[in-house]
Amino acid sequence: MKAQVTFTKKLWYVTILMVAVFAFNPMYGQSGTTTSQNGRIIKGTVSNPQEPLEGANVILKGANEGAVTNKKGEFTFPVALKTGDILLISYLGYESIEVKIKADTKFIKAILSDEVIEFMGAVNTNKRFKSKRKSKN
Amino acid sequence: MKILLTHIFLFIFVFQVNAQISDFQNISFEKADEIALKYKDETLHNLPDLVYKLTSELDTDEERFRAIFKWVCSSVANDYKLYTRNKRKRQRYKNDSVKLNQWNTKFQKIVFRRLLKNRTTICTGYAYLVKELANLADIECEMVHGYARTSTMNIEKLDSPNHSWNVVKLNGKWYLCDPTWASGIPNPETYQFQFEFNSGFFLSDPKIFAVNHHPIQEKWFLLEGSTPSFQAFLDAPIIYGKAYTYISDHSYPQKMENEVQRNKNFNFKFQLQKEVQKEDVNLVIESSFTERKIHPEQISIQEKSLSIDYKFEYTGYYDVHLYIKDDLISTYTVEVTR
Repeated sequence: MKAQVTFTKKLWYVTILMVAVFAFNPMYGQSGTTTSQNGRIIKGTVSNPQEPLEGANVILKGANEGAVTNKKGEFTFPVALKTGDILLISYLGYESIEVKIKADTKFIKAILSDEVIEFMGAVNTNKRFKSKRKSKN
Repeated sequence: MKILLTHIFLFIFVFQVNAQISDFQNISFEKADEIALKYKDETLHNLPDLVYKLTSELDTDEERFRAIFKWVCSSVANDYKLYTRNKRKRQRYKNDSVKLNQWNTKFQKIVFRRLLKNRTTICTGYAYLVKELANLADIECEMVHGYARTSTMNIEKLDSPNHSWNVVKLNGKWYLCDPTWASGIPNPETYQFQFEFNSGFFLSDPKIFAVNHHPIQEKWFLLEGSTPSFQAFLDAPIIYGKAYTYISDHSYPQKMENEVQRNKNFNFKFQLQKEVQKEDVNLVIESSFTERKIHPEQISIQEKSLSIDYKFEYTGYYDVHLYIKDDLISTYTVEVTR
């Protein structure tokens, strides 16, 4: 009998604990986004002026943390970001941009513009020069 | 005693570091090169990640930049067909800026798609990639556009910029490098690109660089004092890739086309980067029907200054090629008169 009470008691504690965990966790998250003191998960999209960019790189400046955009140009940054953090968004052939996380930043919409580059190329060679004009003797 | 030894050690070490800052001769880029080759097959889909892999284990900016440079030169192939296609179009539209711009916009898309998909490109793609990767590693690096000369180029047609390379700022000082030419040489007959890293195009001496590179913006010569005129650039002798591994300055003759009287001394003068043995220096003298390899008798090497005097015995018109060991360095034409 006594043992059973202890068991019920234990079950009771566990239930309270679980309720507490579930109840407080979202609140924690909310307080994070509103006070912006704690880190929060940032989402966003990357596109060029016409369409979403798949495979664009989003990195946290000064850290080896980053995300790559999906087919729709969407990304979810894998680590919590703080106000003042800087995201560097880049894609081959486009001007990179930096986005500063502000107190009210929840979603980033980045539009990258084409980098204007004039392409040219001189191919090197080790072919020995041969002049066209030669003496007659 | 221990303290004294430490001081001596420190003194030597600091001294060396100072020497390296002005000139990276004594720095070993072995570790950087090793890392670059380790990640040789990485794709270009995640540049920040690539930069992290290439640079996170290295301590100095010059090593980090070397790893990036070496990676680009060993992983990206030169696309010869793409190059000829662009050259053709640029030549066709050179007086029509609207069409040229349209072509450029279209071509830019093609280039970046190729770069991502096949890891092949042309000069500007190399220079662009080196700049982007270096910038991601927080190293100041710029693209430089201008004119470049090779032995097969028709200089009479060289009327618009044809090449791109880089300048990089290390320890507060700008340096030159040419990733396209450092990566290898395509075979013009088979279109096959052959990777062959030429470290001579990494942080090259501005004096030798100016012999066959002519930037649009004068400041990127990085030369102290006067810079060569465009005409002087067109008139200059032809130097080959290997010249960049032996020579730091080409002093004389300053022109490709020369004239000399027979049995009079004709002088060649170079500043060397490294020790060269006199017996390794040869001239190949080519006329219409004959080719002779000559080891000139009058060679002097003093304080890394190489001077050759040669007397032509017979009148005629010759192509004169300078070799060090089996490496072709430069070519001149000499008309020998009475």
